[in-house]
Amino acid sequence: MTHEDEAQVGRDAREAAASRAGIAVRPEEFQHRAGGTREKVFELNGIDVHYDGVAAVKGIAMDIHRNDVTALIGPSGCGKSTLLRCLNRMNDLIPAAEVSGELLYHGEDLYGPTVDPVQVRKLIGMVFQKPNPFPKSIYDNVAFGPRILGEKENLDSKVEQALRGAALWDEVKDRLADNAFGLSGGQQQRLCIARCIAVSPDVILMDEPCSALDPISTGKIEDLMIELKEEFSIVIVTHNMQQAARVSDRTAFLMVELDATEQNRWGRLVEYDETEKIFTNPTDKRTEDYVSGKVG
Amino acid sequence: MADAVRVHYQEELERLEASALDGLNLVNAALDRTLEAVQHQDVELAQIVVADDDRIDGRYLEVHQSLITLLATQSPVATDLRLISALLHVLKNIERMGDQCVNVCKLIPLSGNEPPADQEMVELILNMGKQTRTLNSQAQRAFAERDIEMARDLVRQDDVVDNLNRECFRLALAIGDDADKREWAMTMMLAARAIERIGDNAVDIGEQVAFVVTGLFREFEDASHPSA
Repeated sequence: MTHEDEAQVGRDAREAAASRAGIAVRPEEFQHRAGGTREKVFELNGIDVHYDGVAAVKGIAMDIHRNDVTALIGPSGCGKSTLLRCLNRMNDLIPAAEVSGELLYHGEDLYGPTVDPVQVRKLIGMVFQKPNPFPKSIYDNVAFGPRILGEKENLDSKVEQALRGAALWDEVKDRLADNAFGLSGGQQQRLCIARCIAVSPDVILMDEPCSALDPISTGKIEDLMIELKEEFSIVIVTHNMQQAARVSDRTAFLMVELDATEQNRWGRLVEYDETEKIFTNPTDKRTEDYVSGKVG
Repeated sequence: MADAVRVHYQEELERLEASALDGLNLVNAALDRTLEAVQHQDVELAQIVVADDDRIDGRYLEVHQSLITLLATQSPVATDLRLISALLHVLKNIERMGDQCVNVCKLIPLSGNEPPADQEMVELILNMGKQTRTLNSQAQRAFAERDIEMARDLVRQDDVVDNLNRECFRLALAIGDDADKREWAMTMMLAARAIERIGDNAVDIGEQVAFVVTGLFREFEDASHPSA
């Protein structure tokens, strides 16, 4: 298969997934790297999230662009992970969570009545803080998604492509039948990334993907992110500001806001800009203080 | 907002800025002695200035190394990063200013113990030196106070020094046919040129003030594209 063929297979798979998810996506939306245009993957307008009626984040408005790595940074409890989970409807799994405001995915309402959240999560994959491989072989971990989707043709080739895409193939090609738990932490995390990209997602969400990894493994994942953004759009939550500075194209800074009684707190988007701007000359004093480590 | 953190890092950065800017006091002390040596053709005093330049070079090395350590260990960003970048430039400017004082002082023995000095030209050079001293102090204050207007005003003050330098050139051309006098005048031309360069370095420090404050580097005046 040539690279072009593979790219076409990826596009076809994404269109099929979008169709299953009930999202009417125009074919041109999935064109690979549309000439450097600032195509929007997500448009958030006034997103509020409440848990049991208590606000977790308020009034988030931002556009997330295609083939960018977008970083969400901010102190603990500012709602970074909550916001990330909105993007693939993961908050639906928490009964008390309620998302309001407008969240468009390729111009379509992600929370529309006809949209199937299970299918959305195949299109918008998530990699978690702690590597969570299934208690299966390396091969079966990666083949899991395609099998569920009934894509059983060329399964070997799909597994190889996903493992190559996650920069893991050379390390595991001779032991695909071994249990995934035998891999190192960094390898397990790359396996989870391989599992995620095996179903040809459109967006990969990463929730502190390197916080449990050593510096070498972290470096590999960061290199991988820069390669993966050629094909996917990536949104990453990180506590490591230097990581945000190294890998992301745009950075959003959220912080905790208190009400007058100081009893209630919620996350608010303070500044969202090119990463270079955020780390060399931020507009808002609060961003400056946070990125330079003057306040936690 | 939580309590301030990384207090030691902030204190260290403030200490290094103060130490770097104090280098301008060392330069002004060297400049004072240089002017006195020019005025009195004092070869011994000139030699002291040459030897003492090690102090300015030492300050450069010490603060430079500490700034590199901060870069390596503290990953400074935003204003802190711009400040450190600017201080590295400013240190180089200060080191160059010290070298220009040395250049002037090395010329003094060349002009002889009892040179056929032209008093008007000596006065011009002393005047240039005083103006340059003011420029240095103003650059130091503009940096410490992050005052862009004060920094920009350095260009206007430097024009005064440049004009005095041109006047020196004019006097040197008109000094007459006596070979000794011409040699002395040529030597003093080089001294005037060195002092004029000190003023240029003060303007460069002013440009770094604007960079620290705004995040944009712009030359106040572009020598290769002078404004009409």
